[in-house]
Amino acid sequence: MKAKEFKPLPAQPAPVSTIGVIPWLRNNLLSSPFNITVTVIIVAALLAIVPDMLDWLIFSANWSGETQAACVKDGACWVFISAWSQQIFYGSYPDGEIWRVNLSLLLLAGVIASSFALPARLRNKVSVPAYLCLPFVCLLILDGSYIGLKEVTTDLWGGFSLNVLIAAASIIIAFPFGFLWALGRQSDMPFARSVSVTCIEFFRGTPILALFFMGSVMLPLFFPANVSVDKLLRVWIILVLFMSAYMAEVFRSGFAAIPKGQYEAADSIGLGYWQKTLLIIFPQVIKVSMPNILATFVMVFKNTVFLLVIAVPEMLQVIMAALSNSNWLGGHAIEGYLFVGFIFWICCFSMSLLATSIEKKLDTSHKN
Amino acid sequence: MKNAASADQQAIQSTNDKDIIVIKDMNKWYGNFHVLKDINLTVKKGERIVVCGPSGSGKSTMIRCINRLEEFQRGSLTVNDVEMIDDVKNIEAIRKEVGMVFQHFNLFPHLSILDNLTLGPIWVQKKPKDEAEAIAMKYLERVKIPDQANKFPGQLSGGQQQRVAIARSLCMSPEIMLFDEPTSALDPEMIKEVLDVMVELADEGMTMICVTHEMGFAKKVADRVIFMDGGEIVEQNTPHEFFDHPETDRLQLFLSQILQH
Ligand SMILES: Nc1ncnc2c1ncn2[C@@H]1O[C@H](COP(=O)(O)OP(=O)(O)OP(=O)(O)O)[C@@H](O)[C@H]1O
Ligand SMILES: [Mg+2]
Repeated sequence: MKAKEFKPLPAQPAPVSTIGVIPWLRNNLLSSPFNITVTVIIVAALLAIVPDMLDWLIFSANWSGETQAACVKDGACWVFISAWSQQIFYGSYPDGEIWRVNLSLLLLAGVIASSFALPARLRNKVSVPAYLCLPFVCLLILDGSYIGLKEVTTDLWGGFSLNVLIAAASIIIAFPFGFLWALGRQSDMPFARSVSVTCIEFFRGTPILALFFMGSVMLPLFFPANVSVDKLLRVWIILVLFMSAYMAEVFRSGFAAIPKGQYEAADSIGLGYWQKTLLIIFPQVIKVSMPNILATFVMVFKNTVFLLVIAVPEMLQVIMAALSNSNWLGGHAIEGYLFVGFIFWICCFSMSLLATSIEKKLDTSHKN
Repeated sequence: MKNAASADQQAIQSTNDKDIIVIKDMNKWYGNFHVLKDINLTVKKGERIVVCGPSGSGKSTMIRCINRLEEFQRGSLTVNDVEMIDDVKNIEAIRKEVGMVFQHFNLFPHLSILDNLTLGPIWVQKKPKDEAEAIAMKYLERVKIPDQANKFPGQLSGGQQQRVAIARSLCMSPEIMLFDEPTSALDPEMIKEVLDVMVELADEGMTMICVTHEMGFAKKVADRVIFMDGGEIVEQNTPHEFFDHPETDRLQLFLSQILQH
């Protein structure tokens, strides 16, 4: 008997998508009487608020001038921000040395960019050491005394650059720490495990404010009287430990997502413990943990404003000092706080965009 | 000339006589559950062994003990004259000789196919990168997918992934290959391409222990077929005897069940 011939059907084009602005509006905002009512109320409310808001923020705002006297119009007094901009961004860092802060920020940007721009093979060899060296290089540059520049003591560092740099320096060091703690937590060695668990639970269970107070008030009590550890250094250590604890938990859930087969395959080709951990497990953990890592970073970055409670002149602290300055007693709190909020929002939003792009870049395991 | 040839022959003969895996009275428990009971098994160099048996009979556990993915509590195991003891050196030495292929491939999803293959040679055998890549390409050609070298595991079909997994093990030039149900996660059309690679490997004289229910494969290449049940080796024989004259009623029942379909 002759077999029937099999003829595959020709492929057809996918149906035309009907999604657009108008259909979307119709489907989502105007689909029922109730929806229409809600939409109308919201639009009316927006119409009532937004014009006044824009007017205050932009059209009637005072944009130019040097002193409070320049703020004559009804709107926001952005002169306040511009007059204090140097302190807001650089704290009391000496005028002539501000290039050092900029250089540090540029180095940070450069290292971050390098981890994107470099081809995969160079990335591990170049970017990883660059990241790890960065905090210390920045420290040398900003302090200056060890590299033959004018010494700038840490009480002069401040402003938004301090928020950025201390957050970055903390997460960079917290990364390996957090990873070690996470490894320790799931290790077979009782000593490593109990040390890791204690650290993680202590620093995760204590509010960051309490940690800052401990760092600034209590820790010095434990040091001998003649030893003084720089306040900013103490704060940095606290942030690193705090962050490490969070990172450890992030990594732990990452570890849980790695199938057992990956460990077995690594064992079966004879990789040692550290080779297996660093070459096979770590990259995959990083990949699955990326959204949480970025979220943790955003959290710590925002938490840097709490440094004001121990009088570290970070951005919000500078704004508050400026608000109580006798030349600016006109009540510019709204402008000041809005500006701080805006800057932080911009930064955190770009970080989440960054996170999305990293996730896409790392996503090699699936076909789609 | 003739003498030399026969001397060669003899050399091959004598290496083939060497016991490469010796398992003596191996016992293993998971908690209170006795998974492996008095396993005794000797495998000669170049021997091809197929292990079968019902689910949960301890087949995987047994072969995973051979490269220390599982530990056993009693008995002894010697691989290529190295005794399996709780010493990193011995474990490393044994793992160097033993390659393993898993049911679910277990390729490293974050590495390209080529990097999956060169990882072992570079980091374990400390070979230079270009040499490792040459080896990797050689084995990718043997499993007939050199064109996939720069893809990632997620972009390959199951059959291709399993062939990559075989090549990855071969890159370490092991003396022994363990297969744990290498085709049971595959669609029928892909099973053949993997089995073909395994048959070739068998024909080249690789020592193999293969847990599989592919009875055609067993008949074709196995020197010995082992039947396990309840953590014991119930019966072992040449394929011919094993399938045509099973001795125990347990094996008869098992064979009648799997040959029904
Ligand atoms: N980690 C474990 N802890 C406890 N029991 C286990 C563990 N792994 C396996 N077992 C049990 O040991 C027995 C043997 O398992 P094993 O995986 O060796 O069976 P198998 O013969 O390979 O079965 P299959 O054909 O389903 O793969 C099973 O009863 C299983 O439930
Ligand atoms: Mg099994």
